[in-house]
Amino acid sequence: MSIADIEPQSEMHGGTEGHHEDPVKVDGRQRVGIWLFIGADVVTVAAILFTYLYLRGVDTAGHWMEMEGYKGNLHTYAFWENQYLNGTLANPKAIYVGTLSAGLQWLTAGLTVVSAAVLWFGEKGLRATKNAKAFSPVAVVAMLLTLAGVVVSAIQLRDIPQIFVAVNDSITMSYTTYDSAMMAIVGSTLGHLVLLAFLGLGLAIRSARGAISGEKWYQVRLVRYFWVWVAISSVVTTLITTSINTVH
Amino acid sequence: MTTTLEHTATSAEPRGGGLARHQNFGTAIVAGVILAWVGWFVARHLFWSGSDNWSDQVATMTATGWMIGFWIGIGAFNAPFRWLVGNDNSRDEDLYYAGYKQGRARYWKYTTDHKVVGVQYIILTMSLLAVGGILAMAIRTELIVPGTHFVNQQVYNSFIAIHGMVMILALIVAVAGPWGNFVMPIMVGARDMAFPRLNALSLWTLVSAAFLLVTVLAVGGLPVGWVVLGTISDQAGVGMDFFAMTIVVFTVSTTVASINLITTVITMRTKGMTLDRLPIFVWGTMITAVLALYAFPFFFVAELNQILDRTVSTSFYVASGGGTSWLQANLFWLMGHPEVYVILIPAVAALFEISSVMARKPLFSYKTAIGAMVALSGLSALVWAHHMFTSGWAPTLGGPFMVTTEVISIPTGIFFLVLVGTLWRGNVWMRLPTLWMFGFIFNFIVGGVTGIYLSDIPLDEQLHGTMFVTAHFHYIFVGSVLFGAIAALAFWFPKVTGRFLDERLGRYSFWLVFIGVQLTFGAMFLSGLKGMPRRDASYSLAFEHTNFISTIGAYIIMAGMLILLGAIITSWRKGEPSGPNPWHANSLEWQVPTPVPLENFLEDPVITQDPYHYGEELVRP
Repeated sequence: MSIADIEPQSEMHGGTEGHHEDPVKVDGRQRVGIWLFIGADVVTVAAILFTYLYLRGVDTAGHWMEMEGYKGNLHTYAFWENQYLNGTLANPKAIYVGTLSAGLQWLTAGLTVVSAAVLWFGEKGLRATKNAKAFSPVAVVAMLLTLAGVVVSAIQLRDIPQIFVAVNDSITMSYTTYDSAMMAIVGSTLGHLVLLAFLGLGLAIRSARGAISGEKWYQVRLVRYFWVWVAISSVVTTLITTSINTVH
Repeated sequence: MTTTLEHTATSAEPRGGGLARHQNFGTAIVAGVILAWVGWFVARHLFWSGSDNWSDQVATMTATGWMIGFWIGIGAFNAPFRWLVGNDNSRDEDLYYAGYKQGRARYWKYTTDHKVVGVQYIILTMSLLAVGGILAMAIRTELIVPGTHFVNQQVYNSFIAIHGMVMILALIVAVAGPWGNFVMPIMVGARDMAFPRLNALSLWTLVSAAFLLVTVLAVGGLPVGWVVLGTISDQAGVGMDFFAMTIVVFTVSTTVASINLITTVITMRTKGMTLDRLPIFVWGTMITAVLALYAFPFFFVAELNQILDRTVSTSFYVASGGGTSWLQANLFWLMGHPEVYVILIPAVAALFEISSVMARKPLFSYKTAIGAMVALSGLSALVWAHHMFTSGWAPTLGGPFMVTTEVISIPTGIFFLVLVGTLWRGNVWMRLPTLWMFGFIFNFIVGGVTGIYLSDIPLDEQLHGTMFVTAHFHYIFVGSVLFGAIAALAFWFPKVTGRFLDERLGRYSFWLVFIGVQLTFGAMFLSGLKGMPRRDASYSLAFEHTNFISTIGAYIIMAGMLILLGAIITSWRKGEPSGPNPWHANSLEWQVPTPVPLENFLEDPVITQDPYHYGEELVRP
């Protein structure tokens, strides 16, 4: 006998129609799953914040927000390198980068919170009215709000200042440790928002196509749990990074 | 528990499947290679080649292309896409994905049946052990005499790094992968895992990551050790990018698998399967999954920071930019020590299971065993800095971390008590699983006691970075975990194949591996005590004899493992038939037919007592 010989031939699976698992059980199982997923995400966000606070705490060589070099961006990479190679590069200056825009950070957090509230109210309406068609535009609005958050996050990432420093006989681009940690935090927020946009789009399509209905609404609640967690994490990270940022 | 299936007329092959009918391991490889090439091509033109990061950007895009292509090719994106467009699977499609009536082909596909996934994990684990083992032989061959004669220092260091990480991956899944999937759902009375598609996802993401890890050797290697400390990994070539991507994907795989295991145990137990009736192996896998869920996100962030440092010039670990490798060391070891217990606990829990069945006695102190596993998991999160005693990081915390590390010896000591207490005055059935269990007990004492030495700061100051440390953790990983994994394989092999694992070949294998371990790592202790540093291809004449013995021992281990491989292959094909319950065990996996039906139970079982009520009347007075 080999592995091919022991393929199960269960009589239970003769049927091809009519299998429907109890939605209450599926819901319960998926709720546990989503809470565990959120738990893992909490540790991930905590590790990113640990990184931020650790780098700020050690402030190695005073590089938390300051670095000696030349301010520029990706497009000036070749410019600085040519100057360096030609020997025409001026002496490097101490560049203080300052904090990223707190307004944009709070705007992203606000958009996430509002989108979570929209989804939550939509879910309440769905459960109360059993009108899945009316839920679809609500999910679209929530998704659009998260997409707006994606755009704001992308602007934040673009605005992180790059500094060019001379290392090992060449010019290389670098970021202060504050900017490095912020890149991870904003990038994490952006990643979460993209995932929310995907889920929002899915809920909108599914409710429009009848896969979500007044009776089958539990997936909306599962998504809402995650959505609310992302909103909370967005507020917490923004609160920390806007209140604990400079070294002195 | 009520039955959730409605049985109607029998039919032939399920009609579902759609695109999945054309997706398998082959298409995954092809799509992975194509998208890797696309990633490579796009990155070469997208990024400025004058940048210091260019090669890392190209490598990372290539690796990302490989991963995405592989997942598309195997079918991992089918379900999310169908969810998105509101087109849920029909019953037929669920049956198709479960591998119903697909013969051997289902082992090469994105199959959701937990038993198929379990077998896939067996194959994956054996493949990883083979790769890691070949590298181990290369390392020991280099060290057989002083001087560099087989490979140079850079290649040697790459072998060390890839051997280390491949073996870590293999051992993390060695017990929890095959048996957490194949038998655990049956043990709790479930028809499948809670999330069958996520089950397949965790397996195949790990496969894609494993390929990438081995590819590191082909793209310049990784001469910075498997810990990839921030201070030196910054100087590594593009192999480091592949390595970091491997870890990021691996942590996602582990997280998904952990969520699935825990949810299955919490929500899918059959009627009467209360927590105090759960088989101890189920407790072990669940506790391990909780620990993994806590620990692996740190590794994820540690390697994500590496990727950002190398591709977009951030300064997390780069000292010239204000970064610090202590950050990497903290993030790594926040994961690194719990990971030891993610590896160890499933093996120990499997041995608890085996000891009770083979001694024909109730498990000694069931609740204490659970408490010890929980305590070990909790404590493992509080000891990470003992890996950094000599690094200069937070010296004032040395004392507290020394104490927490030494306290860990209490729950590990309880493991011995439970095992020995269960075997004590039992009618021990000396079959293959029992033999490997005794090997575990001996080796784990050696590995455990030497671990207590290393937790002591004054002694660690002397022994850190020496071969003593290498010998210690090899006694844990090879001498203990691998022995436990092989015992588990021998124990549950009949449930997978319907046949016993060849007893005669298995015993030859045991004695060779057991003797090999004592020679290899016993001599390595002596090398370390004399001061031989780790991670060095060459060494002084003072270490000549002990290294020679270690290498001979390693060859003996290899011979033993090859015999075991032969035993597995021959037994799988034409071994002695075992019947459904060869060990006369009480737990649920032994009460179902072999081969196990697709959804395990013809009727949902009802549990009335724990599975350890073995013939008390047979116990010697």
